[in-house]
Amino acid sequence: MTTKTRYFVIASLLVLGVGLGTGLVAYYVGFPAGAATRAGGPEELQYIPHDATVIAFANVQDVMNSQLRQKLLQALPMHEAGQKEFENQTGINIETDIDRIVASLNPDPSNNNTPGQGLVLARGRFDEVKIEALMREHGAEIEQYKTKRLIVVTHTREGATDGRYPSESFAVSFVEPGFVALGHASLVRSAIDLHQGGNNPQAGLSSVTGNDELMALVRSLDSGNVWAVGRFDALASRARLPDSVTSRLPAITLFAVSGHINGGLRATVRAEARDDEAANNLRDVVRGFMGLAKMQAGSNPSAQLMMQSLELGGTGKTVALSFMVPAEVFDAVGGALNKGFPKNH
Amino acid sequence: MSTPTLGASALRIFDLSLGQMLWSRRSVFLGILLGGPVVLAALIAILTRTSLGAFRINGAAVGGATIFGMIIWLLYIRFILPILGVFYGTSLIADEVDDKTITYLFTRPIPRSAVLLGKYLAYLACTVLLVLPSVMLVYFLIVPVGGGSIAAAFPSLVMDFGMLIVGLAAYGAVFALVGARIKRPLVVGLVFAFGWEPTVLLFPGYLKRATVAYYLQALVTHEMPQDSAVSLLMQVFREVPSVMTSLLCLAIIVGVTLWLAGRAVEGREYVLEQ
Repeated sequence: MTTKTRYFVIASLLVLGVGLGTGLVAYYVGFPAGAATRAGGPEELQYIPHDATVIAFANVQDVMNSQLRQKLLQALPMHEAGQKEFENQTGINIETDIDRIVASLNPDPSNNNTPGQGLVLARGRFDEVKIEALMREHGAEIEQYKTKRLIVVTHTREGATDGRYPSESFAVSFVEPGFVALGHASLVRSAIDLHQGGNNPQAGLSSVTGNDELMALVRSLDSGNVWAVGRFDALASRARLPDSVTSRLPAITLFAVSGHINGGLRATVRAEARDDEAANNLRDVVRGFMGLAKMQAGSNPSAQLMMQSLELGGTGKTVALSFMVPAEVFDAVGGALNKGFPKNH
Repeated sequence: MSTPTLGASALRIFDLSLGQMLWSRRSVFLGILLGGPVVLAALIAILTRTSLGAFRINGAAVGGATIFGMIIWLLYIRFILPILGVFYGTSLIADEVDDKTITYLFTRPIPRSAVLLGKYLAYLACTVLLVLPSVMLVYFLIVPVGGGSIAAAFPSLVMDFGMLIVGLAAYGAVFALVGARIKRPLVVGLVFAFGWEPTVLLFPGYLKRATVAYYLQALVTHEMPQDSAVSLLMQVFREVPSVMTSLLCLAIIVGVTLWLAGRAVEGREYVLEQ
């Protein structure tokens, strides 16, 4: 072997060795490739308790100002009542006051029969005095927790066993200017703890940012203005579904949904199956539905565009489906629905 | 003086042929072929980090691991592996005949099949040492696109390496046989790789078992891309043998074709054109 050839072999093996070594270290240590580019997810995640089963994010301003919402509002001028009701109760106008929200669903330690307890962290512009006054009018009480004021609404819950918080309580707290935490009182308290003490697992205080499983999903999401990730198995086990339904559910452990809403909707749905075989079965099912949907699309150009955008992907245990719903589809749906509704005068 | 064994002779030929293969004109072609995916990956990585934003297919954003899977399918499995097999495999003996240097090798006191075996091992080393670093670079450039995780996709990269080595070995052995037995091996090789194989994979039935791609595709961990109507048909009629069956069949293909090629070289009389 000549010296030139020997150098080539050494260089090639060096590239392979360095690459495989880096990959191996990454695999065992678990650092994401994106670590160099971004920490992963919005900063509000550091106030969500570690045991969250679902985390969701929405850039409310993006969604509210999207062409898609304007079209839907024109096509379906209704459903404002719920929004108005929320504003009457809390003094928060979803459309103008909220910039973005991060929500989570955490297991309820006192009750295994519910999907869990919810927490919503919102950033925006809030009139704290007005909101507090409105909530007090509706029976809320003020409680001091650490250095924060907690506005608590308590509902008596049948069969409650939690000695400290004997009934179900909903709380709102302005954690910092322009940042509100609302949801189950115990979760709001945890959010305040995390805000003040930071992520400190040694002190029994850890946020979801230390939950590698969910954070890996968050980091893997494509940039979108709405997304959700979570443990499918945890949700299914708490949903008290009949055995006949449970046995037919796909063997999915984790899921991630990411979407970008503007003129239309672009979305990616990812599922992490229990094993490679379950993933292959799921891919076969999805492929079958895709084939059927493509045949059903017929000559409708907007439906064809949507069907062409369907892209099944993923490797190993991961199954991913990307798709795009063009604005024309919403126009058509809106038009069809509009015929069924009387015009408001 | 005793005749060296087949293994020792093959290793000597391997040592001699590796340098010849690496620094031949064919290697320029190989460099361009394998540099293409790296350049493409670098472009995607740069554009997605600067002006393009997320990489989209039909308007839907796709992650780095999915793009890497598509590159493995469309560039490496469907194109680079067969073409390397055809160009290198068919030329193992044919080049020596064309250069009229086969006589020098055959007059050495070594088994003739050792010449083929040594050259085959040199082909395998040469292509593996070029293809795997190329895939490695593509992996590190593409997988982080869209926040993808190198750690999560690493097991599939290792499996890809195994699959590519097995694929290079199988295609090389098949085309070594073609080169040893047939007069115009390049044409036959190209027809087999880009005519026969893609065509029979489109149809249901047993015919696809007479291809290397059928067994190789079972070792691929990435989802087959739906890039065209042909791909859609391939997916519809795709039967995937188990990994063990595929590995066993590919081992049989390598063993049998190399043995047949060795026999052909042993028995054939090469007439050099003057």
